[in-house]
Amino acid sequence: MSTILKVENLIKYYKTGEAVVKAVDNTNLEIIRGEFTVIVGRSGSGKSTLLHLIGGLDRPDSGRVIMDGQDIFSMKEDQLARLRRNKIGFIFQDYNLIPSLTVWENVVLPLGLDKKKVRKDKIMEILSKIGMEDRKDARPDTLSGGQKQRTAIARALAASPAIILADEPTGNLDSKTELEVMSLLKKCVNEFGQTLVMITHDETIAQMADKVIYIEDGKVVTVS
Amino acid sequence: MKMVSHIAFENIRYYKSRNILIGIAIFLTTLLLYLVPSTGLNLIEGQFAVVNEIYPTWHALFRDVEENEVEKLAAYHDISTYGLRCDAGRIASEEADIFMIYLDENGFLLYKTKLLEGELPQKEDEIVVSANLLKAIGKADKSIGDRITLSYQILQADTLGFMEEKEFLITGFVEDQASGEQSKVYSAFVSKAFLEQEIPSNIRTYRFLFQVNSRKDALTSELENKINSIADVFGIPDNNILINDDYLMANYVDPAIQPAIIGIMAIVMAAGIITIYSVYYIGMTDRIQEFGRIKAIGATRKQIRWIVLLEGLLVAFAAIPIGLIAGSVRLKGVFYLFLHFFQGENQSIHIMKELFDNNQLSLFHGWIYAAATLVALLTVCVSLLRPMLIMSRISVIEAIRFRPECTDRKGKRVRKEKSFLEITLPRLSYIYLTGNKKNTGITILSMGITGVFLMVTATILSCANPKEIANGEMLGQYEVVIKVDNRNKEHPERKWNNIIRNNPLNCELKKKIEELEGVTFVSEFDYIRVFSDSFGEDSEGVGGVPEEYASQLEDGIIEGTATYEDLKSGDNVIIDKDLLQWYPDLKIGDTLVLNVDLEDEECFREVTILAIGDYSTGFTNYNDLLMAKEGARKLCSYNITESYHIFTSKVYSSDMEQALHELIAADSDRLQIQTWQEVYEEWSSSMATISGACYMFFGILGAICVMNIINTMIHSVHVRKKEIGMMQALGMTDRQLIGMLQQEGFLYILGTLILSIGVGSALGYPVFLWAKEKGMFGISNYHYPAAAAGIISLSLLLIQIILVFSLSRAVKKKTLVERIRFSE
Ligand SMILES: Nc1ncnc2c1ncn2[C@@H]1O[C@H](COP(=O)(O)OP(=O)(O)OP(=O)(O)O)[C@@H](O)[C@H]1O
Ligand SMILES: [Mg+2]
Repeated sequence: MSTILKVENLIKYYKTGEAVVKAVDNTNLEIIRGEFTVIVGRSGSGKSTLLHLIGGLDRPDSGRVIMDGQDIFSMKEDQLARLRRNKIGFIFQDYNLIPSLTVWENVVLPLGLDKKKVRKDKIMEILSKIGMEDRKDARPDTLSGGQKQRTAIARALAASPAIILADEPTGNLDSKTELEVMSLLKKCVNEFGQTLVMITHDETIAQMADKVIYIEDGKVVTVS
Repeated sequence: MKMVSHIAFENIRYYKSRNILIGIAIFLTTLLLYLVPSTGLNLIEGQFAVVNEIYPTWHALFRDVEENEVEKLAAYHDISTYGLRCDAGRIASEEADIFMIYLDENGFLLYKTKLLEGELPQKEDEIVVSANLLKAIGKADKSIGDRITLSYQILQADTLGFMEEKEFLITGFVEDQASGEQSKVYSAFVSKAFLEQEIPSNIRTYRFLFQVNSRKDALTSELENKINSIADVFGIPDNNILINDDYLMANYVDPAIQPAIIGIMAIVMAAGIITIYSVYYIGMTDRIQEFGRIKAIGATRKQIRWIVLLEGLLVAFAAIPIGLIAGSVRLKGVFYLFLHFFQGENQSIHIMKELFDNNQLSLFHGWIYAAATLVALLTVCVSLLRPMLIMSRISVIEAIRFRPECTDRKGKRVRKEKSFLEITLPRLSYIYLTGNKKNTGITILSMGITGVFLMVTATILSCANPKEIANGEMLGQYEVVIKVDNRNKEHPERKWNNIIRNNPLNCELKKKIEELEGVTFVSEFDYIRVFSDSFGEDSEGVGGVPEEYASQLEDGIIEGTATYEDLKSGDNVIIDKDLLQWYPDLKIGDTLVLNVDLEDEECFREVTILAIGDYSTGFTNYNDLLMAKEGARKLCSYNITESYHIFTSKVYSSDMEQALHELIAADSDRLQIQTWQEVYEEWSSSMATISGACYMFFGILGAICVMNIINTMIHSVHVRKKEIGMMQALGMTDRQLIGMLQQEGFLYILGTLILSIGVGSALGYPVFLWAKEKGMFGISNYHYPAAAAGIISLSLLLIQIILVFSLSRAVKKKTLVERIRFSE
């Protein structure tokens, strides 16, 4: 079992006026390739911040994130951007779809940025799995919250990234769709060997995980 | 109200970049609104002042007015002041022309002739002279109270009498005229008593100088009408009226100037309105939500309108004074530069600058400040009218639900339900721009309109090529032409029928010119003055074209056919199309009965119009009936040569000009020399002025419009901060981001260029044809304004590249996560 991702002494504080928010406070953890890891914690405990740091969206005050043996914060901006589109699939808490693009276009955007060929059948398969194939030409503002979330998931999967970082991807879904989405994500892990790191509040999902990391006030409390 | 202004003020801070742009647009608009009328007004006032300084102040004079008529004229109600002048004779002098003139006291005033010292002459032996006059007759040592003996001839009924001699007492000195030094023309002033003694009252006539009653702002044309009607009442023939055009022009506003300035100001205002409006419009969609919220809290329509208006006005209150101050600081420089281009460094410009420098004239006019401020404010208000209306009318629910990117105002879907299979950077740009069609359109349109204006103007300017104009106005490098003047009583020797009997352009002169070193060829054109019933009262010229220009004559035909051979008989003519302007009924095949102006001989000739041609004035010398030289000579057996066109190996040399002047020196009052170089330089400098002024104007106008694209690009990045952040989170590199913005900007530029250069070029050609038809700037050939097109393209591209780089840097200032999470 190899480590795909290693977090070392990661620190990120926010100063707002007098108060200092210790969003990520000296965190250490390891993510194993091909595993499904869940991060849980109370609202405001620093989960999203940690996930953003792991994905190289933000820079820490100190500490390192090592992905495939590379310290990602020693990279140049553009290298980091390339790493993101090649290796990482993000699913954001608030979807972050591009409003002027259709569902299909949103999904194939990471491929386009990487100048990769779009395999139509593969994208269609993902869309049909999440039940969005008949809405593929719709634009985000006409979608419901759940549909937006599913589109965001499809976008993260489109480029077959080695690691999928998901911030509460099932937050807006009914239990049936939630199950379908979860089985799709699990399939990615089990069949295609992708690594999945997911933030969730949902106990049942946490049950499905290979590993659960508890966070409190920016610190890793327990790993199970 | 306090709440309203508070919100307006907060909005200004929040929408800083947009309001800065609007501020710049208002600033530039104000600058132009101030500079254009100021420069125009200063130029007019400056010229007025200079002319007042130089020219006599009478409005008109009547010649040959007899003594008893003077009293009747003087009593006429429309005449406000009058003076009398009578040219009594000439004082003999080898070196100079010295006139003996009687001027009454008012005459002195109206001629602006000032006594430096002494008194006006009263007794018949008293005289007033000038220092240079005394020098010219070798009596420089004399002063007031001294007696001098003068030889003179009295002028009676247009002829000079026998030489007389008389002793005069000098009673005063007048100032020497600046021009007198060069031309060696001086005046001595004698008394009324002298006049009465020398010229019997029955043949004594005066020049009656007068001013008519008028309002201060009367138009030149009104005054001329008044003068002519006075002449009618007193039966004064046309050629005895001399109107002081320079002075009238200088003191009364020409009716064409005001509309011109107002027109230019209207263009500036339009550019300002288009720009400010489109800057507001582009940002409107995201503000609809905001105003919806304010409305939801309970703001009334009126309050919302006030918020929008106040925001604009607050920006204007900051920008307008800056514009006025910048304008005032720059005005002198701009104005002097304009003068420099406009007229070079001639005498009157010097006087004008002196007047301005000594504060005798002020460069600054209070009412222009007021007017510029008002017009600028009006511009802002007009631009805000529609935004005010839209903002106040939005319904709360619509505003909160408003989705800027996907719906237009009626809520229809803008894009078709169809996706691109793959996403590439150009497609991203395309999708964004087509999704914001209105913004894109308004940006391109408002920039394109200025571009079209510029291109059309540039077409005219580039067609007005000084070299071509000079070539059109002149054949050869030098020209010796007869000064024909059929109406000048003072120079009867210049009447055509006198000239042909003793023509200074004779074989002898021609031979001498041909012998000059460097002269390669001399071409000889003829002129016959003819009358005809077809021309009414006026005379026209028959031009005799020499053999060597046969092909040019034939090539110029635009209608009908005629060969040079046909035109040798003297029975056929080609008419220049300019003639049709005066006599539109003339057509090919018509027969004209020409009456050659020979005074005492009768000479009629019937000629047939064979063709209509289009010739330059250099070729025709304004003779609109053209024949072969051989033909013309059949109409008149005298020497009818009008001009020599001299071709030389060098374009210009001062030695050559000097040599020619020496050859014609003996006949200098009947002949004049023109050089190609002179014509060329004159046109070069006046075209440089006009182009300079036009390009300066369009430069500022262009800068106003550039605010558009800056705003649109800033806006498109601003509203997409989050979107761009997301794309970067998905792995878009900085280079790709810049590439995408670059492409978007490029599409704006492309659209603008297609509109301005495409439409501008397409419109340019008909405008060129129109200008050619009207004879504007002597335009003859079409020249594509490639330089202007290049400059427009390059500057737009440059602006766009700079803009994209600074924008993408601004975007990068905030971290990705900040943009994704907290961009609300
Ligand atoms: N840019 C910022 N400036 C100041 N404080 C910030 C910033 N970003 C995050 N925080 C704070 O950091 C803490 C951690 O935020 P984070 O979004 O990581 O929480 P979370 O665990 O994801 O919560 P949730 O479960 O509600 O999504 C919070 O207290 C938040 O207010
Ligand atoms: Mg979170």
